[in-house]
Amino acid sequence: MPAMGQALFPELTHRKLVGVETGADFAQRHAERVAGGVGPLVVTEALQPLFAGAGFERGHIYAIAGEAPLSLLFALAARATTEGSWLALVNLQRAGLLSAHEHGVALQRTVCVDCESRELSAVMGALVDGFDLVAVSSPTCSVGEARRITARAKSQGSVLLVVGNPGAFEVDATLRASTVSWQFDTYASARTVTVEARGRRVYGNRSCTVQLPAATGAVAGVST
Amino acid sequence: MSRSIAIVFPQWMQQHGQLGEEHAFTQFEHVVRALTDVSPLVEVESIGTVLIAARGPSRYFGGDVAVAQHLHEVCAGVASDSPFGVGVAGSRFTATAAAHLAQSRGTPCVIEERINAQFVDAIPSSSLAHIGGISDDTVSLLQRLGLRLCGDVRAVGEAALIDRFGIEGKRVYALVSGGEVRHFAPGTPPSDFTRAIEFESPLTSSAHVAAMSRDVVHDLVNAVSGYGQQCVRILITCETDHAESVSRIWGEPHGFGVAALSQRLMYQLDGWLADANAIADAPTSGIVRVQFEPLECREVLSVQPLLWGGSQENIERAARAVNMAMAVGDGVQVMVPRWEGGRDVAAVYSRVPLSLVDIADMRDAEQRVQIGAGVARDWSGSIPRPSPASVASTPPVIQVLDAQGNDVSVSGRHELTTTPAVICVNGRDYHVLRVAGPWPVEERWWDTRRKRRHARMQVLVRYPRGGTGVFLVGLEHHTWSLLARYD
Repeated sequence: MPAMGQALFPELTHRKLVGVETGADFAQRHAERVAGGVGPLVVTEALQPLFAGAGFERGHIYAIAGEAPLSLLFALAARATTEGSWLALVNLQRAGLLSAHEHGVALQRTVCVDCESRELSAVMGALVDGFDLVAVSSPTCSVGEARRITARAKSQGSVLLVVGNPGAFEVDATLRASTVSWQFDTYASARTVTVEARGRRVYGNRSCTVQLPAATGAVAGVST
Repeated sequence: MSRSIAIVFPQWMQQHGQLGEEHAFTQFEHVVRALTDVSPLVEVESIGTVLIAARGPSRYFGGDVAVAQHLHEVCAGVASDSPFGVGVAGSRFTATAAAHLAQSRGTPCVIEERINAQFVDAIPSSSLAHIGGISDDTVSLLQRLGLRLCGDVRAVGEAALIDRFGIEGKRVYALVSGGEVRHFAPGTPPSDFTRAIEFESPLTSSAHVAAMSRDVVHDLVNAVSGYGQQCVRILITCETDHAESVSRIWGEPHGFGVAALSQRLMYQLDGWLADANAIADAPTSGIVRVQFEPLECREVLSVQPLLWGGSQENIERAARAVNMAMAVGDGVQVMVPRWEGGRDVAAVYSRVPLSLVDIADMRDAEQRVQIGAGVARDWSGSIPRPSPASVASTPPVIQVLDAQGNDVSVSGRHELTTTPAVICVNGRDYHVLRVAGPWPVEERWWDTRRKRRHARMQVLVRYPRGGTGVFLVGLEHHTWSLLARYD
């Protein structure tokens, strides 16, 4: 029988199906993309269930909402910054840098930018050119400006993180955290939250439950 | 070998540094100005350390002892509140060591030529790190090898030191044998690296001069680094339209970058231009010419953290993007984090303007954000981890009430007077579920002007719309404020 199958479908035995990608081929292509610096910006393992890849898809816009926006921002950005990516915090004067440090954000590659709302779109346009991660608090851009910034972020492979109201930006995915409980014995030592990813680029229901922050100050998975 | 005079203020940074390095430099400038009356060309090694070539002033005042005594009186006149020492010895390193000795004795310390060798031998080898500019790792290894004094290190021999430590070994041997890493003598012929800029119209503001000189400074730093070197001592000369000039030697053990050089130029000009009324030799016209003359360069340290850490391409991209963003308008402020320490969650990391640092210098950036320079310290009264993610820069005033609606306070024994039940923020009531603390802090209680007494506590609250959250609230001068939220 194998001889007959070979005669009928020679391409099957040579594993060279035109136009079809096998799982192994996909894995190899994916690995090459990651190695070439165009793969996703990897996030810490506990939060990887939120993403189809292992992290932020380059060129996408993510909204960070819910009850723990800044902790979630630091937890998501930590791994990428330690691996050489730069992070810009735009108009996030309230960001606690000590907490960012405890989450593992590499502060030597973090820059804080403050500007007025009329300068915001030009500043963001400049920053997405050079920073892998640009986090901004409730941007007030017009639809046209938002579209231009999105196009620049796509061409440069930067990821835009919007904390608060995304305004005119068309968000690819919204990451929303909701508090399950606080561990508050002698002091506030850990918080359990459920993080959900929703949006036009998210298929199915992606969510995970983590400690954000855990007693160390960083994010940690919850053993079920 | 050239005899040098060192004047040290070991506690200057602690005493004047609370308002930042810039303030400390500005305050120190007054001392430096006074010293230039004794010798026009002084070298500011760092904040609190000044070096002068001994030969000229010594002949003028009639001997080393006389000039040291005179400098001692000058220092006592301008900065009597800070401990200081004046030392004269055969090299810059030994003079600085002598000055530290003089500080503890309270009288000038002059090491005569004939006992210079014995004096060097008796200096502890740990001083090589503190005042000699040798790396901590090397000095700690020397100490673990049992070489406690410079004499012991010298006995090892130059060949063995170079064999083990390379160029640094050569520098160690030069220091412990009473020599110089390089001669310090005013009037060294200009080298190829010297750069100057002339302005068409006289400039009267130091910031203006620094901005206009930036291209030249950039060119100089590039030229030096093109030779695989970095500049550690530089002579900056500024001239006015009326042919007045001021020269100053600046030192920087880690090597000058563009930002550091511009900063030193500003300090030098600030002292000269700003006090125009107060000082006799104040300029009568604006600056027309600035010259930068590197006096000492050394090989770039072989430590290259970039090989393990981030990639050079990312750094350059980020630096370009930041420059573009700053060019957008005057309202754009770009800052980088710097570790400060302390118990205040908002002040542990401060944000320093990018104009004061070189964003592309990753070694500097890592040192800047390193906690406690590598030694993590737990301050008593600090808030336990995890730290709040959202910190208010100007904390809003809130009300903390007990179940009966009375104000909650903290007693002299740091105890809550009643149990908090409700927190009122901007007219919204948050129901208090749990309380942790209070953590009292009494800062600088010995200083009547700057003392501060406050208490912080964590509260677990129920939001009006449902759900729970944790606030960090503080009490100071009988007023509660919402310091931070665990967002």
